[in-house]
Amino acid sequence: MSFPRQVTRADQKLGAILIEMARLRGRLNALAIQYTAYRVLAILVLAGALIFAAANWLAPLAFLCATAAIAIAAVAAVVNTARAGWAMRASAVGAARIADDRADLKGRLTTIVEVAPRANRGALWSYVVEDALAHREEFVPARIERHRIEPSVWMPCAALLVAAILVPLALAHRTALLALGDRAADVTVDLDDLHLRPADPGDSAGVQMQADAATMSRLEAKLAGDGAGAGESSAGILSRARSLASRVQSKLRGGSGARKRRLTLKLADADGARASNPRGDDAAARRHHRTGDTAGQFKREHLAGKHDVPLPPIDKSADAEQQAQPSDDRANGTEAPGLGGSGTSPETDSTRAAADQHGDQSSNGGAAHGIGADPGSLFGSASNPAMGTEGFEISIEARPMEHGAKGAGEAYLPPKVRTPLSPAQRPDEPIARAAVPAEDRTTIERVFER
Amino acid sequence: MSELAAAEIPTVADFSRTFRRIQTEIHKVIIGHELAVEELLSALFAGGHVLIEGVPGTGKTTLVKTLGLALNLSFNRIQFTVDLMPADITGTRVILSGDDGRREFTFAPGPVFCHILLGDEINRATPKTQSALLEAMAELQVTVAGTTYPLSAPYFVMATLNPIEMEGTYPLPEAQLDRFLFKVRLDYPDEEQLVRIISSTTGPDEAGVVPVFAGVEASARIESLKLLVREVIAAPAMDQYAARIVRATQPEHSRYVGDSPRSMHDEMVNRYVMFGSSPRGAQALIMGAKVRALLDGRANIAREDIEAVAVAALAHRIMLNYAAHSDAIEAAQIVERVVKTARAARG
Repeated sequence: MSFPRQVTRADQKLGAILIEMARLRGRLNALAIQYTAYRVLAILVLAGALIFAAANWLAPLAFLCATAAIAIAAVAAVVNTARAGWAMRASAVGAARIADDRADLKGRLTTIVEVAPRANRGALWSYVVEDALAHREEFVPARIERHRIEPSVWMPCAALLVAAILVPLALAHRTALLALGDRAADVTVDLDDLHLRPADPGDSAGVQMQADAATMSRLEAKLAGDGAGAGESSAGILSRARSLASRVQSKLRGGSGARKRRLTLKLADADGARASNPRGDDAAARRHHRTGDTAGQFKREHLAGKHDVPLPPIDKSADAEQQAQPSDDRANGTEAPGLGGSGTSPETDSTRAAADQHGDQSSNGGAAHGIGADPGSLFGSASNPAMGTEGFEISIEARPMEHGAKGAGEAYLPPKVRTPLSPAQRPDEPIARAAVPAEDRTTIERVFER
Repeated sequence: MSELAAAEIPTVADFSRTFRRIQTEIHKVIIGHELAVEELLSALFAGGHVLIEGVPGTGKTTLVKTLGLALNLSFNRIQFTVDLMPADITGTRVILSGDDGRREFTFAPGPVFCHILLGDEINRATPKTQSALLEAMAELQVTVAGTTYPLSAPYFVMATLNPIEMEGTYPLPEAQLDRFLFKVRLDYPDEEQLVRIISSTTGPDEAGVVPVFAGVEASARIESLKLLVREVIAAPAMDQYAARIVRATQPEHSRYVGDSPRSMHDEMVNRYVMFGSSPRGAQALIMGAKVRALLDGRANIAREDIEAVAVAALAHRIMLNYAAHSDAIEAAQIVERVVKTARAARG
């Protein structure tokens, strides 16, 4: 009986073809997986490097926007890559079709793979198998697909190279910023001239505000008022966004707030200075009067009766740790809530601030006077406007004068110059008065009577 | 089990060899027109009929006569004219007197009863007469006066069309056009071919066509080869490819085309095609591809086979609109564009 032997041989030939197809399919699918993996890895590495660089280079809000954009782009790229990788996967028929196309086998393998599961394969099936097997050398996997490693392996390498360049640059930029912060000197700012707003959380660890108790109390009230109003506004959303971005930035930088050198901002309280200064027409008081209701500045009605607001708790331990040069006059002070840093003795700081504004010789010689350039001494004492005045008035007294602007003598009068007339011109001559005719005289008189 | 017993099935090599022999015999008389001859024989072995279009003098009638001689099959020719009646084609019942003097109706077969029928200038007959061929072409039978007469296989109709003398002609109805498997176009021969035609037809010697088959076995051999063609394996992917090409010839916004997200539509089709190919077009694609696969020594069809027969199988099934006539666009251009689109779509 030769029939069973023929069937077995035909099945063996078919099996040999199908095994080759399975091997080819495995290679193609491995390449598809590599394609996806390499590209996703490259995208993630690149996105991570960009976010790290943004954390070190950009301000919190800009960092937040950049991070969101990078994340969206990365997710889109990963999704696209995954879809492309999924489309690259090869089914059994797909692998056969690729082999047919690349080896120019005219659909032999596709036909075999698709028709093999059928019960009735047709009278020419054995011929098809024999014909395909005769081309076996042409569809071995190594000839159909030469690559074992997907060529896109260079992409994660390139991404790592970019990251290796970006990360040190970002770290260097960060180090340079910290070194610049170390050289920053303390700044003394007059409270009324200070644009107050809720502090940027990203910088809260780096700024230390010092003021006397009353000033700090007013500052606290102002901050509380701003914070309550900002909670539901866009400013509140921005503040929360800044806070979030700052926290993320801090984590990405890998450093804590203790590494930053604090910037000591000394608030000079004009009211405190007036209280300690017996002279009632001091500059601080006048400054309060002339100050408009600009954003963040105190108004007098806000301050009325609030001088005895309880002060925030003093974090002396933090102060002791973070103050580079602790002094005696700061030891008993208060600090702005949420801003950190040590307080300042009310007596010493308020006195010093007031003295600074008056140009007192016992102070720092006017070195901290910058904000309070006092025009009071130029025009004498100003009148006290009513409480709650939102603006100010300027009265100008003017009268005609013949003196020059400088008042140094006679006003300047240009000299009279006679210029000769041209020949075509004739000097003005009065017209000879003519007599009014008698018949018109009555009419003219009536007209003028009306 | 296949219709053919193992002993009856000719091999793929037999088919190819026989096909080439017939080609050789035909080309003893017909100079040039290699593609036309191949398509003609492909249609014969695919079991279809052929519409031949060509200007006068290009050898349409000679080609058909030579084919009949080479195949050693019975051959009839009908010259279609405007006064030709259906009974002139199919035959009619006539009263004949017997030896005993009795008169009775007897069916007198028309020229349609043969193996190879040449309908010369078929577009000169009225549609009524043209449609007399429909039943014979599609069902291999003729019904006259309520009686059905079968035609003997193989049955092969070749109709010729003269594209330039359109006065007094009746364009073939779409239903009849659809019955032709292929439409073969005979163009003018080039100079070298023309020289050979002159020398071979104006001398004292005529080319002798040697029949490929003996008279007795011709029908059986051709039928076995036709069965072999049907045994060629078409993978589902190839059937789908043919279906996609046929669907692509149908305008997107035609009310006869349902919405299908997988169908592809070409802008040229949407602009110039009034009606696309019928399902018979897909059948013609596959059958023609099978013949080509056998000629290539394969028992399976490939996309290349389908693409190669697309113009011959689909061009005459596409009805163009006035915009196409205005822009001098031909159906063959549409099919070529569709094939190009399909090839690009499969990557």
